[in-house]
This record gives sequence, C-alpha cells and structure tokens, in this order.
Amino acid sequence: MSHDHDHTDPPEDIELRVKALESVLADKGLIDTSALDELIDLYETKIGPRNGAKVVAKAWTDPDYRQRLLSDGTAAIKELGFSGVQGEDMVVVENTPDVHNMIVCTLCSCYPWPTLGLPPAWFKSAPYRSRVVIDPRGVLKEFGISLSAEKEVRVWDSSAELRYLVLPERPAGTDGWQEDQLVELVTRDSMIGVGFPKSAPDNHQQAGA
Amino acid sequence: MPVVTKDIVPLLVQTGASARVAEDIPARFVPGDTVLAKNVNPANHTRLPRYVRGKVGTIMMDHGVFVTPDTAAHGLGEHPQHVYCVRFTAAELWGGDASSKDTVNIDLWDDYLQPA
Repeated sequence: MSHDHDHTDPPEDIELRVKALESVLADKGLIDTSALDELIDLYETKIGPRNGAKVVAKAWTDPDYRQRLLSDGTAAIKELGFSGVQGEDMVVVENTPDVHNMIVCTLCSCYPWPTLGLPPAWFKSAPYRSRVVIDPRGVLKEFGISLSAEKEVRVWDSSAELRYLVLPERPAGTDGWQEDQLVELVTRDSMIGVGFPKSAPDNHQQAGA
Repeated sequence: MPVVTKDIVPLLVQTGASARVAEDIPARFVPGDTVLAKNVNPANHTRLPRYVRGKVGTIMMDHGVFVTPDTAAHGLGEHPQHVYCVRFTAAELWGGDASSKDTVNIDLWDDYLQPA
C-alpha cells in the first residue's frame, strides 16, 4: 500500500465520517471488522476487470461460448466462476462494425462487479451519468474515441436490475492467438464501451510470443 | 439482522442476491411492441428516469419477473412484475438535432409502460 501522504494533514471529512460510523457499528456489534477487511481485500486484490477480460478472450476464441454468452450472459459467465453480488443478472452486448455499445447507470453507479470489479470514480460521477445518454459521442471523444456517423451508438442505461458488459471487437492481426494472449489486450474501458482493446503489436508474430 | 462474519464473506460475494423472483406473472408486452413510458412524477423512489417519461420506445427484450423497487424500497411489498429492455431513439428523446442512428436502451418495469 502506498504511504506517501503527509501525516500532519488531517484526514478528509468523508474519511473521518466513515471511521466514526465503522467504530459505532462495531461497538454495537452490528458489523464484524474482520469481515469488512475480507470484503475490501476481495475487491482490491481478487475481483477486477481481469475476470471480464477472460470472458471476452474466451468469446473471441470459442464461437459456441460466444453464442452462449450473448444468449444467456449470466450462465455463460458463471461457467468461468465470475458470479455473485452485482452480477446476478447479466446481459452481454456485442460491438460490431455497425454498432458501438456503451454502458452507464444514470441513477447511481450500477456496475458488473464480478467481471469488472468496483466502478471507477468517473463512472459514478454526475457528468458521466447525465451526459452519456444525451451526448454519447461527445463523451466518447473525451475518451479519445471518434466514431463514424454511420455507426449506431447504443447506450445501455443499467439503472434497473440487469448489469451489462460490452463484448468488444477482436483486434485485427490476432489470428491464431491463444486465449491467454488475447486476455492481455482486453481493457476495462473496452468492456464499458468507452475504449477499445489494445492493438496487437506489429512484431508480435515475429517475436514468436 | 445477523452479522456478516469473515468466514461467510466469500460465499456471500459469490452468491449475491438477485431481485429476480420465480412468480408466474403474465407479460403485458412482447419484443417488438411499441410502448409509451408514462409521464408521471411520483414522490417515491422510482427507476423511471425523467428523460424517458412521455417518450415512445420499442420493447427489445423481456428480462422476466423482478421485485419492484418503487414499492420494495418503501417497505410496501415486492409487487413482482416483468422488466423489459426498451429502446428509444436519440431523436425521440432529444429531438431533431440528435443522431439519426443512436439509441438509448433502458430496462423498465411493466407499470411504467402503456401501449402506444
């Protein structure tokens, strides 16, 4: 854990409030602090976008899996073991040459935790949540993405009970790549729809990786 | 309410708690139907955002039967009903300057909708 902050600075208000709440709840016996530590450890070190990347890479290499993933996302993701809180009911939407999908929760911060981990701060911010539905192309430009006017931008507002994951297009130049090599190209942002997977390096084949 | 202990955290996280319920409730709409999102302004919690109220969209998927947050959030019962993915064109939501290609897809409870 980084430890570069100045110890003479008072903690932020929110930090003090959380500490106060935690100690009151612990004193009253309503929470077990070791359970909290376990939860934090799970989401800091074990559950993150690498899970989603494995789902995507499998879909890119296994046409039957891709079909199952698109027809019943919850069950197909469960095959790889990435089920649970905030992933109980999943829908996977596929980018194609004609359609670019992007995910938002205009209500709050709904996000598929088992496949992507906890949401980034910008995903929860009011500007992202309010602007994606009315100006998705403007928001995408700020993420460095410019799409053809001919392409449909399909926004998914996941403010109900379903959680969404974008299946991005497989990068060009990756023919013959194995699943574990493809995993490295899948970014978190590409599975939210505000980015693309990394490109295959030109020298990949020659390097024999 | 029982206290969550460290040993049950992994199971709890892996299981989750779906708002889906196994109730045999008939669906009022099927994919392809044109629907109007009601223009209502409830004071209670709702998942019907203002930007779709009064707008016409198309049912794309029937996700099945779920607990209704509008009542459940206030301790007024589960009121299970179908949740549908409804597609609205950007032009319907935002007017003529919007892209003619783009759409917004949002999951809405049966009660929020009426035939259009």
